[in-house]
Amino acid sequence: MAHRKARERDMLDSVYSMLALVFILVACVELCDAATVVDVYRLIQYDISGVPFGSRLASLNHHAGSLHFSPGADLSRTVVMIPVRELNISFVTEYVSRKHPLGGMLFLLPEIFRLENGGGGKDVREKEVVKNVLLELEKLLVHAKLPYPVYFAFENDEIDAVLDDVKKNDATGQPATATTGGYKLVIPIAEPKKVASPTITNIQGWLQGLKADGDANQLPTIAIVASYDTFGAAPALSVGSDSNGSGVVALLEVARLFSLLYSNPKTRGRYNILFGLTSGGPYNYNGTHKWLRSFDQRLRESIDYAICLNSVGSWNNELWIHVSKPPENAYIKQIFEGFTNVAEELGFKVGLKHKKINISNPRVAWEHEQFSRLRVTAATLSELSAAPELLESTGGLLDSRHFVDETSFIRSVQLVAESLARHIYGYQGKNIQIFADNSSLAVNPSYIRSWLDLLSQTPRVAPFISKNDPFIMALKKELADHTDEVIMQHEVLDGMFTFYDSTKASLNIYQVASVTFDLLLLLVLGSYLIVLFSFLVITTRGLDDLISLFRRPPSRKVKTA
Amino acid sequence: MTVFHFFNCAILTFGPHAVYYSATPLSEYDTLGTSVKAALVYLGTALVKELLKALIGFIDVAGLYFALTQLTHRNISQNHKFQAVGLGWAFADSVLHRLAPLWVGARGLEFTWDYLLQGLEANANLVLSISLAALGSLMWLRKNKPKTLIPIIYACAGIVATMPSITSYLRRGLGWQFPKVVGFELFTSLVMAFISWQLFSACQRPSA
Repeated sequence: MAHRKARERDMLDSVYSMLALVFILVACVELCDAATVVDVYRLIQYDISGVPFGSRLASLNHHAGSLHFSPGADLSRTVVMIPVRELNISFVTEYVSRKHPLGGMLFLLPEIFRLENGGGGKDVREKEVVKNVLLELEKLLVHAKLPYPVYFAFENDEIDAVLDDVKKNDATGQPATATTGGYKLVIPIAEPKKVASPTITNIQGWLQGLKADGDANQLPTIAIVASYDTFGAAPALSVGSDSNGSGVVALLEVARLFSLLYSNPKTRGRYNILFGLTSGGPYNYNGTHKWLRSFDQRLRESIDYAICLNSVGSWNNELWIHVSKPPENAYIKQIFEGFTNVAEELGFKVGLKHKKINISNPRVAWEHEQFSRLRVTAATLSELSAAPELLESTGGLLDSRHFVDETSFIRSVQLVAESLARHIYGYQGKNIQIFADNSSLAVNPSYIRSWLDLLSQTPRVAPFISKNDPFIMALKKELADHTDEVIMQHEVLDGMFTFYDSTKASLNIYQVASVTFDLLLLLVLGSYLIVLFSFLVITTRGLDDLISLFRRPPSRKVKTA
Repeated sequence: MTVFHFFNCAILTFGPHAVYYSATPLSEYDTLGTSVKAALVYLGTALVKELLKALIGFIDVAGLYFALTQLTHRNISQNHKFQAVGLGWAFADSVLHRLAPLWVGARGLEFTWDYLLQGLEANANLVLSISLAALGSLMWLRKNKPKTLIPIIYACAGIVATMPSITSYLRRGLGWQFPKVVGFELFTSLVMAFISWQLFSACQRPSA
């Protein structure tokens, strides 16, 4: 008897626990049921010496609104969806400068700016209009402090449909809140955290020159340097094809050409060539500074001069050489003459710009200034005629693949290669084309194209690239293919800049019904059920029964009396 | 050219049958008659299969017959019996088909009209189940029915039993949207309820 009872109890227990498990499982099922899920890219969040900039929040859970809201509406719990095509920059400027409370901003970029859409050509005129707007917008957002989330997304059919709906709702004058329904934008993401010890990685490679027998002195060195990292409003979209992808690709092509020459001792020059791919460019060339400090005195003194490449991919008919030593300096004259001669042969102009460096000012506008501070002769070759401000021209939203003009870029590479070669082999002033077209040493357009394409699909903001990022490994391998003694130097970015993570997220767009809708529905359903109840009572039991339900039974006193 | 293509496809489809017959010893033993008979039997089987597919809804009727007649109920009047059976039938149908989608779907942030429409469909289904139970009880539990009404009763029962097939044909074959289908269901359920109510009360009166 007891046996059976115990067995029954066990069975009941197992049944109960199974039921409980089923209920728990069922309660936990939360399917993704959003109308649309879109990839979004967050505005950068950073501090300079403790002063906050950029968007300070990441998670989003507010209603969607458009630019057609009624003036004076309260937008503190609304995310404004702004298509960049129709953007009036004054609206954003006003909102940012007056520090109006806002739930968030979502900027919609045209599809052509997508990373995968490489070569443009279509809708060029549309791009022009959008270009100027984007430039201003980026500058504004990067230098402002926004206490709400700001995201960028690419337009597609679904999001366009949502935006049209939102515009229609806004046109009726009702702002979308919890009681009026509409669309809700949700980004479930954790609070952004500081990136601890952001690393910058410098990669260097050597091409050893030919030492004459019996020559004990060290050969002179020529350095070619380019910084490869970028900075922009949306770090997950900052591919910097021109700033400074063009510099990187030019350096790689020059390395390839000279490695062909230096592989044969008969054509090896009497100069060492040092190639440097530095990081930390937008942050006052911090990486270059640390790289130079790691050199010993002898090496630094053996550098004849350094050429830094910065944005050489989209110019029309003039390049600039920027120097910090006075133009009357003999070395500067020699370098400039060499470049000018080659440029004349190639059919364009090269100008010289002199900018004195101020040691007390921490701002380093050009890479060559880091060399000059250590008394190494250096110059920067660039298409920019004026020194960029801090965090300007560092490869932003606009700087995508179709921003680089291949023909002018190939001419830049030819300029650098020829001028260097003539200096190394002593052919200054002589009309000899070493890297002539259609020769075995010609500049290779497909090599350039494939590297530019790769760079245009790789966002390269330094704090978000780890030490062993595949892109850095690829650069190292490529440089190792052409040069010897490739060394990577890992450093920590200067403490002046602090960055916060969360650069990419998924946006869920839900179509929600308002609370009033559900209340109304409850009322309707309640009255429906009451009517149904009364109807059934009347038809089956009679009207008297229905009335008697609402009348209290006669009091007991009457009964007992 | 197209006829030529038809000819090519036809010889690919039907050729092997002829080839098999003529190449193997089958042709020597004159087995054509057996093959033809087998083909005819296949046609018969196919007809039966299609009929079953169309009438699969009538398993509902068999289930209701079982619930109305074979189960032992307490001594309740016929009037209440069919209502109770129809109620239980409709409730079980709603729970099985509608509870899980409601639980998983209606709790999310995203709003759709689907679940409200599903609720309306449950209402229509309740009315239809009770009508079907009423007609069923008329058919199997009441012995003295007016002769003229019997075919009408069977016809109405047939219509109500095939309602699921009709709605699925409307949804998939004609491509009606969900709200339209639900509206149709509500309308027909009210009509059928009215008709079965009239039939039931007509059978209540003692036959003259």
